[in-house]
Amino acid sequence: MRRITSLFPSTPGHGPTRSRAPRLTAAAAAAAVLPLALSACGSDGGTTSSDGTWAPDRPIEITAPAATGGGWDTLARTSARLLESEGLVEQSIQVVNKPGAGGAIGWAYVAGHEADPHKLFVTSPPILLVPMAGDSEYDHDDFTPIARLATDYMVYLVPADSEMETFQDLVDMVGEGGANIGGGSGPGSMDHVALAGAVDAAGGDAAAASYVPFDGGGEAMTALLGGHVDSAVVGVSEAAGMLAAGELRALGVSSPETVEAFPEIPTLLEQDIDFTFDIWRGVMAPAGLEEAQVAYYEDLFADLMETQAWQEESVSLGWTDAYQNSEDFGAFLDEQRTAYTEILTEVGLQ
Amino acid sequence: MLDQLVQGFAVAMTPQNLLFVFIGVLAGTIIGILPGLGPMSAIALMIPIAYGMDPTSAIIMLAGVYYGAIFGGSTSSILLNAPGVAGTVATSFDGYPMARQGKAGKALAIAALSSFTGGTIGVVGLMLIAPGLASFAVSFGPTEYFALMVLGLTAVVSLAGRNLVKGLVSAVFGVMIALVGIDSQTAITRFTFDLPELYEGVEFLIVALGVFALAEVLVMLNRRGQGGARGGVTSLRLSRREMALITPPTLRSGVLGFFIGVLPGAGATVASFLSYSMEKRIAKDGDTFGRGNLKGVAGPESANNAAAVGSFVPLMTLGVPGSGTTAILLGALLVLGVQPGPLMLAERPEMFWGLVASMYIGSAVLLVLNLPLIPVFAKVLNTPKAVLVPLVVVFCVVGVYGLSFSVFDLGLLAPSAWSVS
Repeated sequence: MRRITSLFPSTPGHGPTRSRAPRLTAAAAAAAVLPLALSACGSDGGTTSSDGTWAPDRPIEITAPAATGGGWDTLARTSARLLESEGLVEQSIQVVNKPGAGGAIGWAYVAGHEADPHKLFVTSPPILLVPMAGDSEYDHDDFTPIARLATDYMVYLVPADSEMETFQDLVDMVGEGGANIGGGSGPGSMDHVALAGAVDAAGGDAAAASYVPFDGGGEAMTALLGGHVDSAVVGVSEAAGMLAAGELRALGVSSPETVEAFPEIPTLLEQDIDFTFDIWRGVMAPAGLEEAQVAYYEDLFADLMETQAWQEESVSLGWTDAYQNSEDFGAFLDEQRTAYTEILTEVGLQ
Repeated sequence: MLDQLVQGFAVAMTPQNLLFVFIGVLAGTIIGILPGLGPMSAIALMIPIAYGMDPTSAIIMLAGVYYGAIFGGSTSSILLNAPGVAGTVATSFDGYPMARQGKAGKALAIAALSSFTGGTIGVVGLMLIAPGLASFAVSFGPTEYFALMVLGLTAVVSLAGRNLVKGLVSAVFGVMIALVGIDSQTAITRFTFDLPELYEGVEFLIVALGVFALAEVLVMLNRRGQGGARGGVTSLRLSRREMALITPPTLRSGVLGFFIGVLPGAGATVASFLSYSMEKRIAKDGDTFGRGNLKGVAGPESANNAAAVGSFVPLMTLGVPGSGTTAILLGALLVLGVQPGPLMLAERPEMFWGLVASMYIGSAVLLVLNLPLIPVFAKVLNTPKAVLVPLVVVFCVVGVYGLSFSVFDLGLLAPSAWSVS
């Protein structure tokens, strides 16, 4: 296939063979990042000064592995614009859209620029879920995590006049075999995992919940309004308008604590359901970056999130800050992947 | 409501917004005329420009690009058989034969007038019943969409006229192309040959350009003599009888198009095809459809413009895009910090009514802009073949590449042209 032979065949997780099973523990993953950074020999542009710091010497390219206007594009453009307008970078930043195959086209593009520190891309749960479904040649292990930036959560919605009051009511309905629950993405993808995981944690039979995929959260909510499904699971930011208008009501939210915009929606944890689900968003780079290059970008994005402008933008976009540096983000990705695998196994999709 | 509309005009009539309406519809017309370059890629290209603009001005401009492109798209459908946008494919069925009979001016004039009428019907509908329509759109569930698609497919088969087998074969072949990709219900991949480029399916416009524009180029090359459509430029005057002939289809299809546009799952393309088959059935001279019948131009042109406007109903009142283009518009709005939804009318009335008012202005601008230009456009027909053919090919290639910057898609364009010629 078109896979570019790794320059570092001995690095864990970067060899040509990849196993599908959950394999890396958090500690092992964290350890994996270091030898990767250390073993990188050839530097592809940029200047590493004598004190070991690095700075880009060419325009930085941020790839959104999707068309303009989507969630990834919004993150890429917002970050690029703020990094420039806040004067945090000296080089210009270009946003490139590489849509297709749920992200796989864009990932293949970035993976083809191994060790190039001027090519970043924005990322979120599909970088784990699409490869798990076997639809991408590359998975998160083929890239260098830079930082997790922000997160959004899932809400479990019902029509305003529904008889259901708590998430348990929905689980009971699933148990009776009569619940159709819509989501904004395909089977085995983000919304489905968020639903199945919650039902499972509440003691229900996740495989019995009939998940109905729609093209986007908006369509799922429309179907819910029209009474074509009993419930829908979508991102808080997507549902904000419908919730504020009182057209739909939320049975629960997948966040660890109640979300600022809707303090009246109880979390699943508050309903004694041990489940949280993050729609995290972050930045990654090709494999083979030097430690100093990773450090440069970690600091850059940390600085970005400190700015007033970022704070304002992220509130209006419905994001909660959730910064993690490269090492923590890498470990987090591996944990997430293990959790997703368990849930998908539960519903028989893995 | 009249108050709100007046307020909307106050928003739309500021010099700045007037300028953006004008820029939007002008850019839209040009993009629409160029075969291949559709509103989707145009709006995607303009998102970075709109970024940082006042959200109301931005949506006024981007909406102008959208309905402007649908308006302009008919020009290349009629003159070159190369649909400028997907929504004007049906226009070429009778528009191109008219051009070949030397009635290009007339066909373009009909297209402009019906586009204007359809667009106006859409705007009036948007203004009068948008909030109520949200509940109509919502009541349309999977069952109803299935029924609508079955109706659409049977209608398309019936277009083949006496040769039912031919119609069935081509419809089934079309469905097979549409099935390529990852199924959204089961996540099963169909006909992808393990190529990730095919996971999201084949874009309709690629097939349309291949089957119509490129195939026409190949036919042109095989034909002796100069140019695609002979006969040169003719008068764009319509007789009173002709006006009377196209008025009922224009009005009917405008209403049909608006309601199809309101449905979150269907847009200008579906509307234009449904209108075409409806007009063919209603018309007493239905068997002359496809050979240059005026009504075959008027109907789809009215329907696609009304649908383009109608698709703003689910976009603005539910936050649900009704087509690929409105999906990009939704993305643009989100980037600008506006979340369309049920609160839009209450929270940002100036944006909603400003947009509605700008559409009135935009439709009028389009008509005034396009009518005088028809003789200029029609000169395309006098272009020597040696110039015209490479130009059409270049535009097709640029347009397809612009959809998703994929060289693979260009590879798809060639077989779709070859398969019909």
